[in-house]
Amino acid sequence: MRRAYVMHAKLGLQQMLAYRAGFFLGLLGNLFFLLSMFYLWRVLLKNPRFTHALGWDWSQMKAYLLIGFITGILVSTFTDYTMANRIRTGDVALDLARPIDYQKARFSETLGVALFEFCTAVSVCAIVVAVFGGMQPPTLQAGLLFTVSLLLVVPLKFGIVYMSGLVCFWTTNYLGVSWSRQAIVNIMSGALVPIVLFPVWLQGVANVLPFQAIVWTPARIYLGTIHGTEAVMWLAIEAAWGVGLWILARLMWKVAVRKLVIQGG
Amino acid sequence: MALIETRGMTKVFRTPLKGPGLAGSVKHLFTRRFTDRVAVANVDLTIEAGEAVAYVGPNGAGKSTTIKMLTGILVPTSGEVHANGVVPHKQRIQNARNIGVVFGQRTQLWWDIPVRESLALLKEIHRIPQDRYEATLQSFNELLELGELLPVIGRRLSLGQRMRADLAAALLHDPKILYLDEPTIGLDISVKDRVRAFIKQLIAERGTTVMLTTHDLGDIEDICRRIVIIDEGRIIYDGDLQAVKDTFARERSMHFQLHHPPADPAAIAARVPGVKLVAGEKPEQLGVHFDRFEVSAADVVAAVMTEADVIDFHIDEPAIEDVIRKVYAGQLDLSAAEA
Repeated sequence: MRRAYVMHAKLGLQQMLAYRAGFFLGLLGNLFFLLSMFYLWRVLLKNPRFTHALGWDWSQMKAYLLIGFITGILVSTFTDYTMANRIRTGDVALDLARPIDYQKARFSETLGVALFEFCTAVSVCAIVVAVFGGMQPPTLQAGLLFTVSLLLVVPLKFGIVYMSGLVCFWTTNYLGVSWSRQAIVNIMSGALVPIVLFPVWLQGVANVLPFQAIVWTPARIYLGTIHGTEAVMWLAIEAAWGVGLWILARLMWKVAVRKLVIQGG
Repeated sequence: MALIETRGMTKVFRTPLKGPGLAGSVKHLFTRRFTDRVAVANVDLTIEAGEAVAYVGPNGAGKSTTIKMLTGILVPTSGEVHANGVVPHKQRIQNARNIGVVFGQRTQLWWDIPVRESLALLKEIHRIPQDRYEATLQSFNELLELGELLPVIGRRLSLGQRMRADLAAALLHDPKILYLDEPTIGLDISVKDRVRAFIKQLIAERGTTVMLTTHDLGDIEDICRRIVIIDEGRIIYDGDLQAVKDTFARERSMHFQLHHPPADPAAIAARVPGVKLVAGEKPEQLGVHFDRFEVSAADVVAAVMTEADVIDFHIDEPAIEDVIRKVYAGQLDLSAAEA
């Protein structure tokens, strides 16, 4: 049975390759967004008040934005988009007629997709670093913990994306759900504005939600603002969210299947 | 216990009740009203292993919904379902191991990869051993001619090719039960014949239990012995296909082409009592309608040949189509056939 999941991952990768044009257009959009963030923060960080509040300077901010860029591309829209489409057209009926766990199959596919997303995002980053230059590499320990954190982003984001796909069992419309999800993730993960600049009450909210683990946790580990036991604790929280969302998604699925109406007969 | 058994199986869909136009949609945001539509009502079905059952009815009668409950895709609103010892919607994965499903309007092949890879993926999903997988593909090859399809990417298949590949995909794991939901829809005659031959072979060689929904009566007559007719979610007939034909397709017609218009039609009628003569479009044509259980075709031919100069004739076989059409139109009470 494990081979079936490996093949699903391969399938995800193949689908990305089949629709690479669409993916690269999306990537281009993300890249423009990254560049505008770069120019915006370069100006902002000339003001020492921001540097002080953040606890880091422009060269570190570049690394922060790049981490946001990578985790933004990782597990983006493929999974919920394809799920929503199959729910909308009723093709989900065929997924259900197969002796395979729906959630695990989608997760395997997502892993294949994530591999592709990760490789392209890192290549783009390499180019950006070459152009903008001057970025500090992390310490060895920070680098290792950061890698773990980056890996843990995949199951975490999968939980979020998968559940937003499942919402289509109720709404049949996907676009609104996807947009709201992306907006919430962008803000609450710290991708737009580092969480430390939030009003205090909003920081509190952000810290008890899973989204902060997408950008805020890996970025702080990379930059060394959290390290040692504290870093491990935040990694544990990130991992716990991954598991928690997985279980929550399972419960949601149970309800969703009862709601299922196969569209188009 | 039978292979498939349902008791009181019912599915109710709740649909939002919106007024017309934008105003109706806006109003619906604030006062949500719903209607319950009963798609399948109290269906009791018992299907034994090895049976081939046609499940027919007009559009929207509840055929597909029934199939989707039997396959574990939809959860029944009430009632019981058992298939091969499991409750499909509760043990969906276990149930899925025993079944093959073909939806004529959908494909279970993956759109972006070659057929060969789709089949290989299904092989892993169903955990089919390599040797059995190869043997199965080999045995399918004769009728489905898969060889030419294997390297083709899913989305590039024509409808006929797709259906051949889909049949192979549904049957790779040698399921006990095969559900076919309009498998020949949109296919040309030659592909239809191939699909039917393939299913017949499957029933004969592997003893697969088949449940078929279709609008194509050729499919039914070719494959099934038992017919279940459903309308508005209720079963209105369940029994032998031949019995339906015997009871309701008794009337047979013969059409004669004559050298000259018949001199005395009444004399023909007198020779074979019970027949009804119908004048053809031209005076040299003659139609004879009769009950095939009261008068034999041979008697009719003999009678016409004695009274007139016959060039040619043909017989219209009783078609199940007419019967079902009459049932749909509410003209027939099928309960008589069950007795």
